[in-house]
Amino acid sequence: MMNLLFDLRYYVLYPSFFNSVIYPGLIFTAILLLTTIWFERKAAARVQMRVGPYYASKRLGGFMQLIADAVKFVFSEVIIPEGVNPTLFALAPVLAVAMSFIPLSIIPVSVIPPSGSVFSIYFRDFYDPNIGMGVLTGLFVQYNMLLILAIESMYPVFVIFVAWVTNNRFAIVGAVRESYLSVSYDVLLIMATLSMSLEYHTLDLAKIAQSGIPGILANPVAAIVFFIAMLMGSARFPFEIAEAETELVLGAYTEYSGFLFVLTMAGSYVGNLVYALVFTDMFLWGWYPLSGFPGALLTGLKASIVVFFSVFLRAVYGRYRIDQALRGGWKYLLPLTFVSLFIGLVVGYIWIP
Amino acid sequence: MDSIKIKEYKKGDSSLNLVTGHLKAVGTGVKYFVKPQRITLKYPEESLSLPTGYRGMIRLYKDVCIGCTLCAMVCPADAMKMATDQGKKFPTINYGRCVFCGFCVDICPVDALKETGVHDAAFSSRRELFFSPDKFNQDFDQPPVELLVKKVKAVIDEEKGIKYVPDTD
Repeated sequence: MMNLLFDLRYYVLYPSFFNSVIYPGLIFTAILLLTTIWFERKAAARVQMRVGPYYASKRLGGFMQLIADAVKFVFSEVIIPEGVNPTLFALAPVLAVAMSFIPLSIIPVSVIPPSGSVFSIYFRDFYDPNIGMGVLTGLFVQYNMLLILAIESMYPVFVIFVAWVTNNRFAIVGAVRESYLSVSYDVLLIMATLSMSLEYHTLDLAKIAQSGIPGILANPVAAIVFFIAMLMGSARFPFEIAEAETELVLGAYTEYSGFLFVLTMAGSYVGNLVYALVFTDMFLWGWYPLSGFPGALLTGLKASIVVFFSVFLRAVYGRYRIDQALRGGWKYLLPLTFVSLFIGLVVGYIWIP
Repeated sequence: MDSIKIKEYKKGDSSLNLVTGHLKAVGTGVKYFVKPQRITLKYPEESLSLPTGYRGMIRLYKDVCIGCTLCAMVCPADAMKMATDQGKKFPTINYGRCVFCGFCVDICPVDALKETGVHDAAFSSRRELFFSPDKFNQDFDQPPVELLVKKVKAVIDEEKGIKYVPDTD
């Protein structure tokens, strides 16, 4: 019996399972998603002199409203429009969400010390030679910065796929806008990441966070650019251009209803969480100086704050036009990334060993 | 008049303005987030006490009415029509048409019609919107008194804009 329990604990806490299903993965993300949407509505309501969701559970500040909404969506009818391929129509949002979930299992959320942590038994399996410690991540790759961004940059492709499948003109316009934007923010993300990797002489997020020098001090320009590109990439205000409600019903997701609509909505929030986790590791010290499970909690807390701040901007900003957003991206932010590259080279040479 | 200075907001094209503008916007948002100035009235629990002379639902005093049909003639929305009840004419009203202009109340020579202060009546079908003289003769159901309804009134506040204070009378 004890043996079985030990085995169970071994497999549940095995980082490949734990990270992709429990902690930054499915379960945590689902809870955080509901909390984020609740916070988004409450924060916007506070700023706009309203109350927001309230009557569903007065004591919890209306948090149950989100669960009620989710249940309503799950049980409402999925309408498949005429003239679409039903298989692809149902598959497209699932693929998009799956694609945005995958990076969560690659992002390092903490380090594993050789002893003294519940994860210490996996020290050897997830050993990172760059920092001389284990890394708490679903799959340890030395070049995880690049891999995360590469996978997450596939997300817009699936948004375009969703729009193409639904055969709706609003969806097509939304997809065109998304493709314009994705080209512009992907460049910014890659350039900001590149300047950080030059600065810390590595492509390993764990090494950046474990170095003990917060990236936001070492290279604030890259942090700003990465944050704005994150807002663009996850369709947050003021860059909620591809799903502009007043112009394009809901952009690429116009035709979706019921549970498939929930999935399409989840995609951009999960993308936001992925970028926020990368932002935390890269610029906000990640788990440092903690390790093991407390470190993972610290990373999650910081990432949640970043996500909350980026949804809070809904209350502050209107929506840019597509040309304004692209002008901002290419005319102002791209030169800033060159500055951040330069800062990265100089500071990395002088300060960071 | 020299002591009064008007603060002017300059809208320049300098690129520094691009940064400070965003910071100001986020700062304002955070200010309101930390110190919200809500003006929502939580309606079922609190309700605004109405001013005297509020043009709410109309009721009829059947024993006063002389059946002169002036109210039905003046009604601009054709909501009020006359019906014969035991050889006497009485107005009927269809709230699906009524625009609450109050002309009928004004024109009544014997004050047989009165505006009540009730505005939040609910009907479950269109047929219920039609009031026959007998139904028209009754007072309206007041909001439920067994539930605690806080009567409030709106006052203008210098900082908050609109504020609700409990109505004492």
